[in-house]
Amino acid sequence: MAPPPLSLYTTSFLLATLVTLLVAGSLRLLYILPHTRFQRKPLPRRKPIATRVLIVLGSGGHTHEMLELLRDLDTSTYTHRTYVVGRGDAFSAQRAVKFEEGLEARERARLRESEEYLDEQIDTGAQKAQENTELARRRRRNTTKEDRPTCLGPAHYDIAIIPRARAIHQSLLTTPVTALYTLISSFRPLVPPPPPVFPILTPSKKNPNANPPPPPSPYDVAAHDLPTLILTNGPATACILILASLILKFFDIRGAQRRRMCKTIYVESFARVKTLSLSGKLLVWVVDRFLVQWKELEGKGGGRAEFWGVLV
Amino acid sequence: MAADKICFVTTGATAPFIALIEAVLKPDFLDAIREAGYTRLLVQHGTAKQTFDTGASIASIHLDHNPGGGRLVINGFDFSDNGLVDQFKLVQKAKGLVISHAGSGTILAVLRYGLPLIVVPNTQLLDNHQDELATAMEKSNYLLKGDVNNLAKMIPLAEGFRIAQASFPPITSGKHRETKTFAAIMDESLGFME
Repeated sequence: MAPPPLSLYTTSFLLATLVTLLVAGSLRLLYILPHTRFQRKPLPRRKPIATRVLIVLGSGGHTHEMLELLRDLDTSTYTHRTYVVGRGDAFSAQRAVKFEEGLEARERARLRESEEYLDEQIDTGAQKAQENTELARRRRRNTTKEDRPTCLGPAHYDIAIIPRARAIHQSLLTTPVTALYTLISSFRPLVPPPPPVFPILTPSKKNPNANPPPPPSPYDVAAHDLPTLILTNGPATACILILASLILKFFDIRGAQRRRMCKTIYVESFARVKTLSLSGKLLVWVVDRFLVQWKELEGKGGGRAEFWGVLV
Repeated sequence: MAADKICFVTTGATAPFIALIEAVLKPDFLDAIREAGYTRLLVQHGTAKQTFDTGASIASIHLDHNPGGGRLVINGFDFSDNGLVDQFKLVQKAKGLVISHAGSGTILAVLRYGLPLIVVPNTQLLDNHQDELATAMEKSNYLLKGDVNNLAKMIPLAEGFRIAQASFPPITSGKHRETKTFAAIMDESLGFME
């Protein structure tokens, strides 16, 4: 066998390879990053049956604002919620559970109301039917919307815990190490293992009636897939998690880029009136939507900051 | 018996705002709220129980020596599991007043209940965008901004502010730009069609 040509080991070859990789890498980066100059409308797509949304919670204030933002969350569209919480932040985890319980309670109250309404309709009888047509029409409109069931309860959300990027009094020297640990850990909620597959029982003499296992429900599939949407409002962990999502898009892992998964929305805190926060300044270049809550901040970040009124 | 008129002071649970607790227990402040007809002063002191207890005992001596200003009951508590909802409802019913540190969470909660609010930015905090927020909110007429040295003078102002206060969240629809809810923005960002 002929030895490899010596030219492969020269410095110039190494340099050429590096430059090629660099160019290819930056082109890819340009491709996956949102278009900063031309704010393109996302291509329309059909609402999937199930969608997972990843919600990054932070310390007290961030968590409070995030859950306030989500008060009108449509659980029939966003069927699975993953709350990402920093290690040791029991408060945020508790708040997330309480928030989900609140959604459930609201749904129960709504159902009770519509049931009462239905009873009332039966009672009032035919002579009042005329008056009720408008209400009935409204109700019908509601029911057509409810072809998608609301997805509530512990099966439809989970809480992922990732280590903190930096503890409160940690020295700056060790921060890169812990940050890297956070980065690696943030892939777990982003790329969960596929749904459990039940052992396939093939019909045999012993078990002639064995049926093939039921395919996992679309809800299960979505719960174990990449998130379609990532929401954050600025804790430090969020920056690292967004970086992880960029890596997924860069290498198109599990079709993150191809299938348009991992879209990101950043909402700047309501407490930020005149200047963007550090997380905001970093993330404004990489997130798909960047929202601010004060008019003065509109157009910051190279014109990317959008203002649609107070959202919290 | 006339209904209670409550002045509720909240100072932040994690890092209590000592200067604010001390300010609302000073004689001039107590006289000011008594003059405005308040009968109860409720203070959430968080972990600063010591400060509150000391201040409250001095305050009660002052109240005992000057009974002419009317009766005033001072109560304190540290935390509430319910996130102050009960206190806000109480103030709402009693047509009272809230005095708070300038944390954005508390500001939003108080304004959602439509309560008159005086915020006192904690100037001892290094990262001072609390003050920025308070100034911007005062400019939009949502609240009054005070500081620990002028709280007594703010009380008569707060009585007039009750009527002038702008409702929150602002109604901007149809005026000059379209507003969107966050739920709509989520759908829109993904390109979801109805």
